[in-house]
Amino acid sequence: MFHWLEKHPFFFAVGVFLVISFAGLVEILPNFAQQSRPVIGTAPYSTLELAGRHVYIKNSCNACHSQLVRPFKSETDRYGHYSLSGEYAYDRPFLWGSKRTGPDLMRVGNYRTTDWHENHMKDPAGVVPGSIMPAYRWMFTNTADIDTAFAEQLTVAQFFSVPYNQPVPMKDGSTKVVKMGGSVAEANALALAEAELIAADMKDQDVKDAVANGQIPEIVALIAYMNSLK
Amino acid sequence: MNKLYLWGIIITAVMLAATYISVSMSEGGLNNDIVNMLAITGAVALVIITVFVVIKYVRQMQVDSATGELTEDNWDGIGEYLNDVPTGWAVTFLLLMVWGMWYMTVGYPVQSYSQIGEYNEDTAAHNAKFAAQYKDITGDRLVEMGESVFLAECKVCHGISADGIDGKAANLNKRIDAIAVKHAIEYGSNNQLLGFMMPMPDRNGLMNANAGYAPITDAEIDTVSAYVANGMTGDGADIFAGTCAMCHGADGTGVESMGPNIKKFDIALVTNVLNYGKKGGIGAMPKFERLNAKQKEAVGAYITSLSE
Repeated sequence: MFHWLEKHPFFFAVGVFLVISFAGLVEILPNFAQQSRPVIGTAPYSTLELAGRHVYIKNSCNACHSQLVRPFKSETDRYGHYSLSGEYAYDRPFLWGSKRTGPDLMRVGNYRTTDWHENHMKDPAGVVPGSIMPAYRWMFTNTADIDTAFAEQLTVAQFFSVPYNQPVPMKDGSTKVVKMGGSVAEANALALAEAELIAADMKDQDVKDAVANGQIPEIVALIAYMNSLK
Repeated sequence: MNKLYLWGIIITAVMLAATYISVSMSEGGLNNDIVNMLAITGAVALVIITVFVVIKYVRQMQVDSATGELTEDNWDGIGEYLNDVPTGWAVTFLLLMVWGMWYMTVGYPVQSYSQIGEYNEDTAAHNAKFAAQYKDITGDRLVEMGESVFLAECKVCHGISADGIDGKAANLNKRIDAIAVKHAIEYGSNNQLLGFMMPMPDRNGLMNANAGYAPITDAEIDTVSAYVANGMTGDGADIFAGTCAMCHGADGTGVESMGPNIKKFDIALVTNVLNYGKKGGIGAMPKFERLNAKQKEAVGAYITSLSE
């Protein structure tokens, strides 16, 4: 075997490559898997939050807003604790972004509230003078796609074992159960229940009426997603 | 003369000439520029040393013949001289071994670079500098710091002039808005966070003691809300004296361990809101954990100064 390899440099090179690759995999993969495990306090997205995430992606929020706090004093002062890989465990796809025309949103749920988002999405410059962010008024009338969010939940629960309906450890030692409906109707009911809590903190009467009628405007889903970013 | 020496002299001359020409034609010339002088000195030294070394070894190849005692081993007619290990090589080898041991046990584990490590050092250094620089500031300096923190953290909701941007957030140029007073009377307020004994009850009183006979009417709530919001002036003094003064004091400046000052801001009040956030008649405010204690105190001083 080895004599044969010595006489065939090409296959010898292939053998060397295989051995080194294997050593690399053994060293790298377990660490990689450990790093990407969800950290304590990271919970899966609820149906409404996931629908909001779809609104976020659909409107290309990630083109101007990153979701990655780097370990620099200047960034952690402004945005909070630097990001850890495990915090993206349930992000499919992750929305790190590569450009900050607007501020980072990794932990925006810690320092902005529902009513602020409502004012800001309607008229950004009205709350932040000089802001170049455009207004997103259609989010107040468009209806969020709960069915697709539910389909995504089912898929990730099935194929990536995302722990829906199971206790997830939180930072304060408690556990949190993120519910996923058993049927489309149930998922819509869960999302609506969550939307009602958000709408209660909002001022826009049209949005409140829509939620009262069982419709969920995109803005409600988006705010639910924003509030979940912590 | 050996042809080798002749070539050496020719190459040296050509190289030195080329160096001289290129330096004297470049900006600064030969004598006026210290960098050019240094460069040409180095170039001359390099050319001469290179030529000498090359000549030495080429001569050695030309005239040297191998002598010395051979080892017993012989590989297809190729033998090996029985020489000692060169001293310089041996010393380098041993030193490298020592260095390798140091690097594996101490050098790499202790001194290796870590991004988070650098971040932690930066943060610790910054915090120490901040603490040393601002430990004792008071009065106007504290208010100035509060203003700059306010402009960085608070203005997105409360506005640059702290007016609450048309009711979107609390107007901090006065102690309290009528809408916030009304909300607190109707729904109560959890001021236990401030260290007071009892939470403020809702309009039904403690443990629903008032339920059924409604000691305060909607009209009275509106009147007293306007009274408090106007800084304890106007109509409603009698309602305030009857319903609110027991905990908040006759002049609204608060009673120790009973109720907070609702006439003026103070630092403890603002710090408490920054620590725990707030949800009231106007909207919700998140807590601001990322500010340090001094910054919270400064924001308190600034907000207190706004309504004075």
